Amino acid sequence: MERPPDFNNKSLLMQTEKGFKSEVINIVKLTAQEKLFQIRILGSCEREKFTFLPGQFVMLELPGCGEVPISISSSPSNREFIGLCVRKAGKVTGMLHRLEPGAMVGIRGPLGTHFPMQKMVGRNILLIAGGLGIAPLRSPIYWVNEHRSEYKDITILYGVKEPGQILFDYQFEEWRKIYDLNLLTIVQNPDENWKGKVGLITELFEDISIDPEDTFAIVCGPPVMFKFICAHLADIGIPRQRMFVSLERRMHCGMGKCCRCNVGSTFTCLDGPVFDYWTVMNLKEAI
Amino acid sequence: MLFKTITKENFKKMVEGLLEENEVIGPRSRDQDLEGNKIYRFLKVNSFEELEMDYTRSYSSPKNYFLPFKEDFATYRLEDNNWEQEIRYTVHPRVIIGMRACDINALLKLDQVMLKSVYPNPYYFARRQNTLIIGLDHEPLEDCFCRSMNTDTAFHGFDLFLTDIGDKYFVAINSDTAYIIINQFDAREVTEEDQERFKTVKEQIKSKFKTQVDITILPELMDLEFESEVWKKWGDKCLSCGSCAMVCPTCYCYGIEEDTNLTFTKATKRRFLYSCNLLDFAAVAGGHNFRPEAHIRLKYRYYHQFRGFVEAFNQSLCVGCNRCGKACLAGISPKAVIDDLIKTEKNEY
Amino acid sequence: MKYSGITLKKPKVGFFDFTGCEGCQLQITNKEENLKALFGLVEVVNFREISSERRDDYEIAFIDGCITTDSEVARLKKIREQAGILVAMGACACLGGVNNLRSRFPLPDVVKEVYDGHHVDTGPVRKVAEIVPVDIELPGCPISKHEFEWLVRHLVLGIEPQFPKYPVCVECKQRLNSCVLDMGMMCLGPVTRAGCNAVCPRNRLGCWGCRGPSEEANFESLMEILREKGFTEEHIAERVKFFNAFSGILNSDC
Repeated sequence: MERPPDFNNKSLLMQTEKGFKSEVINIVKLTAQEKLFQIRILGSCEREKFTFLPGQFVMLELPGCGEVPISISSSPSNREFIGLCVRKAGKVTGMLHRLEPGAMVGIRGPLGTHFPMQKMVGRNILLIAGGLGIAPLRSPIYWVNEHRSEYKDITILYGVKEPGQILFDYQFEEWRKIYDLNLLTIVQNPDENWKGKVGLITELFEDISIDPEDTFAIVCGPPVMFKFICAHLADIGIPRQRMFVSLERRMHCGMGKCCRCNVGSTFTCLDGPVFDYWTVMNLKEAI
Repeated sequence: MLFKTITKENFKKMVEGLLEENEVIGPRSRDQDLEGNKIYRFLKVNSFEELEMDYTRSYSSPKNYFLPFKEDFATYRLEDNNWEQEIRYTVHPRVIIGMRACDINALLKLDQVMLKSVYPNPYYFARRQNTLIIGLDHEPLEDCFCRSMNTDTAFHGFDLFLTDIGDKYFVAINSDTAYIIINQFDAREVTEEDQERFKTVKEQIKSKFKTQVDITILPELMDLEFESEVWKKWGDKCLSCGSCAMVCPTCYCYGIEEDTNLTFTKATKRRFLYSCNLLDFAAVAGGHNFRPEAHIRLKYRYYHQFRGFVEAFNQSLCVGCNRCGKACLAGISPKAVIDDLIKTEKNEY
Repeated sequence: MKYSGITLKKPKVGFFDFTGCEGCQLQITNKEENLKALFGLVEVVNFREISSERRDDYEIAFIDGCITTDSEVARLKKIREQAGILVAMGACACLGGVNNLRSRFPLPDVVKEVYDGHHVDTGPVRKVAEIVPVDIELPGCPISKHEFEWLVRHLVLGIEPQFPKYPVCVECKQRLNSCVLDMGMMCLGPVTRAGCNAVCPRNRLGCWGCRGPSEEANFESLMEILREKGFTEEHIAERVKFFNAFSGILNSDC
């Protein structure tokens, strides 16, 4: 005889249904479209318990306005605040952009899968970002820096359409010099001030050498970008199970219930957003 | 499982007893279709006489008594720069009479998603815990294909399950609460004759299924025929009106919206049942729609029902009630679509 | 007034009626218990149903009724010049509405029949968008007070309102209504924008399409269904043309 199970884990319920009230402690304007929100969970107990891994996301809520899924782009070891990079795209994100420090928001999470940083220990990591895709990569970048001796060469390839869309360029020097990462950028439509490389992100492959036997790849950006990049990486011999991508879909619940983020037979919020590329290839209409 | 019998007269008394202290939901009829057939709905019942114990099929499933079409998840008290959230999932006890085996199986499938997954749904849980379910057997209709979906009998997920064996009901008892209740209304031990009659009725029911849907290789077929013309054919007819998902006993997709009152002092976070057939189901902020065309959305409804859910839980989400087929003005039914897919695969198309 | 620390400005609003019954304006004043809160959100500078004030410094203009005369065209253009946001309110303003029924007949015949030959300054029925650009269309005949309040909240917050894109069927099924098409009645619910909570089918009246078409509505499919159900072309045309909601979408023979 089967009955609905009792909920023993009350705290789990509280976490998923009841958001953590959090204060926006700082807002950094990155571009005309993107702002970085530094958010601090109010309750010290909840703040202590909130731990996440690179690649996970939260549902960010402005009560009365709505909720949006945002990947965490701060360091997992940062216990003071959570960094969320928000692009102004719709009703909720538009309203979030009008907030001032001191505003109260809700967060639910952390939700979803993460980049398997443990599996990559002892290997090279190639991080590839297109546009806003750099935001979720900040978390693994912080991670590898904090565990720098555990990894071999770290390379970041970052491509955007226009120079004005480059995010976090104020950190690039730090990433290169202190984090000891190799960072290459490329712009599709340069302006007169742009001195760097011009073209599509795939052209950056000419400037680096990849050891396919010993490299993991993390790819974040628009779906059309995954396709070309992952195909190239597969061609040079990186197994698809060693490439990780983060998918974007509409989400309402973040808990595998609302089905809005359904991709093929899976849900982006539960089985993703981080998928290995073999799984993505087997999902209908994932890319 | 424990079995008893109860006379129809005593059953009436039992329902009247339940009516005294509980909200009772059951099949009722208010309208007729063009052929003069009654159209049934699961609605609040005020007296035993309103109950249609010989109903055929309700137009819409009783799903909404567990997953309401609209439901407040949370309310907020807003101040200038602060807010307080309030969450309530307490519900009043309820009795539902007359649920079919397929609808009970539908609940068991919903339980998989709502209760047994990583994040249980407390709102659903509260309703599930506080609802007494009295199931009722029936002879299959022309288009019932629950037998193909293996949902024509229910072994759990109910409190009482009735089979009409003439002047009395043969009753399967599945909870202590139900056992206590039915014993107050002179429920009798099952006699050998009752058992014989029960077996005969069950055999009769079994022999009367007319519609079969072959789901043997359906999950594979969903992948193999992903680009099939069949989807376009049915998708062109599809009105993208969401009726199928609304009447379906298992479709559970939803959306969340938040709104405030006129003075911006209170806010509500509301869940509303949605349908994957609706235009903006997979549209993201900024305008991109992952499923812009009707046939793609229609395909995904089937893909979730017969492929995605199978992968996750080893069973189809569909229970074979054909309510979606009945409600669809364009005549899109699982039987028709699946038969078409199978035909295509065999090159008979 | 503040929301999440954001200071909200009270927009100045004006209400202007053109050819129509003014029922939409009446709807706004109907729900008395909310009036105080509603008019606390905005500063009404021009609304002849409720106030004698006539100022022209409005930022948002609500237009009800369709446009039929030259003087109305001029007045509307002037309002458009002033208003930062122009809202077409109700079926007449958004679609042409019931008034459009007269467009089936030659105008002189209509004037003769109705006004018995007296001179009347009137022209073809046009929706607001045919004369000036419209920012927001608030559909319905009449508009729903609930939806109006929802829209005002959006305007005050400065958020673009998102009306339901899906058809009436969704809400109709959610109210557990019997499908009126199954009961032999004509209904345009499957192609009409939701948001009315299926009030007509709820009362066993098929939908007349007063809220205009739902987004990417499948007309061809519904027309086929209606013909299969035995509705005549005249009957279908009568219904489809009633609010002028589907003009330009249907073939001229329908």
